[in-house]
Amino acid sequence: MPLDTAGNATPSGSIVVVENLVKRFGAFTALNDINLRVDKGETIVLCGPSGSGKSTLIRCINHIEQHDGGRIVVDGIELSNRMADINSVRCEVGMVFQSFNLFPHLTVAENCMLAPMKVRGISQFEARDRARLLLRKVRIADQADKYPAQLSGGQQQRVAIARALCMQPKIMLFDEPTSALDPEMVKEVLETMVELAKEGMTMVCVTHEMGFAREVADQVVFMDRGSIIEEADPETFFRAPRTERAKGFLNQIIH
Amino acid sequence: MNTLDFSIVAQSWPYLWSGLLFSLSLTAAAFAIGMILGTCLALVQHFDVPVLAKIVRSYVAIIRSIPLILVLFWFFFLMPIVLGHLSGNGRPVPIGASATAFTTFGLFEAAYYSEIIRVGLRAVNKGQFEACQALALSTYHTYRHIVLPQVLRVASPIILSQTIILFQDTSLVYVLSLTDLLGAASKLAQLNGRLVEMYLVVAVAYLIISSAASQCVASLRKRYAIATTR
Repeated sequence: MPLDTAGNATPSGSIVVVENLVKRFGAFTALNDINLRVDKGETIVLCGPSGSGKSTLIRCINHIEQHDGGRIVVDGIELSNRMADINSVRCEVGMVFQSFNLFPHLTVAENCMLAPMKVRGISQFEARDRARLLLRKVRIADQADKYPAQLSGGQQQRVAIARALCMQPKIMLFDEPTSALDPEMVKEVLETMVELAKEGMTMVCVTHEMGFAREVADQVVFMDRGSIIEEADPETFFRAPRTERAKGFLNQIIH
Repeated sequence: MNTLDFSIVAQSWPYLWSGLLFSLSLTAAAFAIGMILGTCLALVQHFDVPVLAKIVRSYVAIIRSIPLILVLFWFFFLMPIVLGHLSGNGRPVPIGASATAFTTFGLFEAAYYSEIIRVGLRAVNKGQFEACQALALSTYHTYRHIVLPQVLRVASPIILSQTIILFQDTSLVYVLSLTDLLGAASKLAQLNGRLVEMYLVVAVAYLIISSAASQCVASLRKRYAIATTR
């Protein structure tokens, strides 16, 4: 059911609305009654111990995981099982994965050009231009004709960011984008993400990079065992976490 | 003691050549039909299409458990009778040896290629599908541009060995009185009493063609090696 962006179902400003979301894997409840709003231009950092449901939550937002209860409204479109709705949401939601998931048999440029041409229907010229522009933005324009395997991890992840941006999404989801990287490559990927956040992109990031959270997050959401435990601006969250679980978690990752 | 005399080969060259051309064109046709049909069969199983998937699985199981030579016989002797029944007048409809060979080899190879591709489809990383979903690519585009090209690259060595076996199996068409490379050589050998020379020459021809095919794929793989390793 498409809903008016400014209508009743979607309060103005919120581009992602998650209400009473439930997700189960068999008998295991991965997400339990999650409520979350993301405003246009906001950067939200999701953190929490492994298995807390952060990745599952963002994977529900573009329907890579199907939710079992509650509602998800993205850019005025409620995610149902209708493929048309799912695809129009996915067009507006870019995603960056922990393991990059670049297409190994296509060059960097082709990785960026495929979906805009096949899904958005733009011409090859336009797609090439757009790819060149965005590859320059992630500072990797000179590698456009190489294959993913010829690049370092950090470079591959920046290509993945450019590939998602080529669809001109309104929202970007990041699923632990730096967890699979060598330490010296984390910085280059984070810099790209910081730049993107500062340009006003709406972002939901699952990450444990607390420096990144402090610098650009408007809100930090702490999850544990499938529930949202704490939501706060980064200063408050890092300085004075309210719950014991959040304190314990912060001690573990900062030590 | 007999000495080897290869002059027979030079004299009978055109006949051998036409046999070789038949072997090659049968291989090429069976490869093309087999790969296209085999990919369809593999996809039907991969998507577990109701009813159809079961039929395909039985088809593949049956074909793979029967010797090719028997399938050739079946087609050649039974198909005309079946067609006769279907056409209504009960009289057998002959389909000819060549048509039998091309159809049988194509259908037979499809079963083998489909198994290779089916296994390849399962080997594609889950993350590739997720990336396609996240980019809103349709199922068609996902398989056409992302999944199948990766399957074909990974499976190319096995597809090649299957094709070399196919090339060698084309000699079975002698049961339909068709003349392929080996058939031509056999006939000439018996006619002239020069069996050793003929069989040596034919063995060398098979060796050259098969290893050339291997070389060709090896160099293709090297060119795409970058794309398949990670």
